[in-house]
Amino acid sequence: MPCGSNLVFGFVEGRETDVAALVGRGLSKRFGSVLAVDGVDLRVEPGTVRGLLGPNGAGKTTLLRLLLGLVRPDAGEIEFFGRRPSLAAGLDGVAGFVEEPRFYPYLSARQTLALFAELDGGDASPVDELLDVVGLDGKAADRRVGGYSTGMRQRLGLATALLGRPRLLLLDEPTTGLDPTGASEMRDVVRRLAADGVAVVLSSHDMGAVSDICSTITILASGRVVWDGSIERLQAEAPAAEYRVETSDDPKALALSASHPGVRATADGTAGLLVSAERDPLDRFVLALAGEGIAVRKLAEVASPVEAMFLALTGGTAS
Amino acid sequence: MREGKDARWSVVRAVIRFELAKLFAQWPTRILPLVCVLAPLAFGAILRVQSGVPADTLFGVWVHTSGFAVPLVILSFAGAWGFPIIAGIVGGDMFASEDRLGTWKTLLTRSSTREEVFLGKVATAFLYTTAMVVLLAAGSILAGVVSTGTQPLVGLTGQTLGSGHAAALTVASWGISLLPALGFTALALLISAVTRSSAAGMLGPLVVALAMQLLGLLGSGDIVRALLLSTALDAWNGMFAAPSYARPLEWAALISLCYAIACLVGAWLSLRHRDIAGAGSEERSWGRQLRVLAIVIAVAVVLAAVSNLGPTSVTATKLQRSIALTFANLTTVQQTDLGRHVPAGSHLEDGAICARHGVRDSNRGPGDNWLCRIYIPARSPSDPTEVSYDVTVKPNGCYTAEGPEAFIGPLTIHRPGGPPVLNPLFRFSSCFEVAP
Repeated sequence: MPCGSNLVFGFVEGRETDVAALVGRGLSKRFGSVLAVDGVDLRVEPGTVRGLLGPNGAGKTTLLRLLLGLVRPDAGEIEFFGRRPSLAAGLDGVAGFVEEPRFYPYLSARQTLALFAELDGGDASPVDELLDVVGLDGKAADRRVGGYSTGMRQRLGLATALLGRPRLLLLDEPTTGLDPTGASEMRDVVRRLAADGVAVVLSSHDMGAVSDICSTITILASGRVVWDGSIERLQAEAPAAEYRVETSDDPKALALSASHPGVRATADGTAGLLVSAERDPLDRFVLALAGEGIAVRKLAEVASPVEAMFLALTGGTAS
Repeated sequence: MREGKDARWSVVRAVIRFELAKLFAQWPTRILPLVCVLAPLAFGAILRVQSGVPADTLFGVWVHTSGFAVPLVILSFAGAWGFPIIAGIVGGDMFASEDRLGTWKTLLTRSSTREEVFLGKVATAFLYTTAMVVLLAAGSILAGVVSTGTQPLVGLTGQTLGSGHAAALTVASWGISLLPALGFTALALLISAVTRSSAAGMLGPLVVALAMQLLGLLGSGDIVRALLLSTALDAWNGMFAAPSYARPLEWAALISLCYAIACLVGAWLSLRHRDIAGAGSEERSWGRQLRVLAIVIAVAVVLAAVSNLGPTSVTATKLQRSIALTFANLTTVQQTDLGRHVPAGSHLEDGAICARHGVRDSNRGPGDNWLCRIYIPARSPSDPTEVSYDVTVKPNGCYTAEGPEAFIGPLTIHRPGGPPVLNPLFRFSSCFEVAP
């Protein structure tokens, strides 16, 4: 996804710092006996990226569907840029996609974008540049979408969302199906959009990506908000990172950990120990192991502080 | 923010262009226009190389006599099969394809509203159906003109219609038949929106049309028949009778409009507040389709049960008047075919008495047990010649009469030295006005 297109990254005419791009209050949605979203409050400021985190079934996608008008809330209200969306207005300045973007398999990407551009009341002139921005230029642009991979459809989904020059972008797992390079490029695009004043809501399972590009985080579990705040606050409140430490003598290492403040080690029945510690105490512990003649054969982070916080809040376990 | 009616219609127009582009990117809707033109031409070509005629269809016996009979025969087939198929192909997939492809979430997260998307899709389906009916009509008229020619047409009462008059009536017949065709398209849109199934949407209109035709044929009561959309497909018949009758045209317009409005309101209500949900919706969709099927079957059973209720407009009086006039006019045609001189303005002063056999009320009701005795003042008014016709009368007032060969001559006749032609009195079809 080459960058640097003024067209895509310069379309916000002025930052509206005084009005929130999105305010959701008390949003609830029930499907049969399942309360998918339960009284969710959400606020997103222009130029910020809010990460929406939660395990499967937490209500992230349903919340995005509510925001995009695809499902009706049972309770609560939504405001975009200070206005409540109405049936008669459609999504004005708001775009995005949920789950995997889907398109008409018999149309090419270029045809798809041109038709959606016309549908949005604009002309087709940005199509080529958008295809370039999302990395679907060349032959891929004229191939039928039916033959696209998941990653290519994600790219087209982003291009389609950007067509309407949105001021608020709602993206559901946008890096799904993308290779590491594509995922990194997608994050770059989101970063630059935010830099240009676009408000972005991004749901993801990728904790690293979320902590990398989001300025604020909302964590959902069982349809409810269990944590909401800035990424800095999350990091400040987050517990120590968790590491898997494999040594030449795990029982002795476990015993040694008890005499090291700031280090909490447990044997979870698998190979090695699960050690929770900040970086400095961990360093001291590793040096102490060496001093006692215990070889450290493996030391790997299994959960970053953000992940550890997420797992603690949602009741999950590190894999 | 888009505001105002102009902006709204501008978006609807964009949706129409969007939908048309989608239609012409898919092979079924891309080749259908070609089929609508080529199928009638193929029918005309077949007629040209064979002597047989589709005698069971109105105007079928005249396909080798006047080219205008060909589009009318095709119109009869198109009403029964073609229009519901066209409606199914375009309307039946219009909403359901978005479910099948999972593209509702893409389409409905634009700046256009659901209302605009709905209006655009409906307008596209109607535009496409109209275009297909126009192409079918044009292809049919062309097929008739090429295969047979532009000779005058024998009307339903046996009267001769000049070429210009016949052409105008043929075009008008296709025009009025467009209304029920659009009604079927609205029905397809409703099925498509409610069941969210392309298969149900595409096959549904054809199944419903056949069920309606069956109900229309089996039921003798006027009430249920008047409520069937298929009844509107017969509305053009009256224009070819003498004297012509226009009330079925008005009813066809009204019933088609009612169907269109009811179906579109139903489709809109289905879409308006619908949650575009994700996983799990497929199972719910099956449940919905079964519920819709159960409702349709229940309605069909109720209609079938009450289809004989109410009065019938098929009466001996109407049949007698129609068959006597038709016989008289066709006698003139027959004599002309035989090369005999028929003085201008002369008319056979015949009369008819019709009755049904084997039923309690012998003076009314559709059936294949009518016997009409036609009295011809051959020798003197007080000693007329009697000809008996076995008549099958349908609930829509159209009938087929078969006469005795001994009196009216063989199946084919010919003037001295001329080619053989079908004897118009051997077996003829006509229609009289029934309610509504």
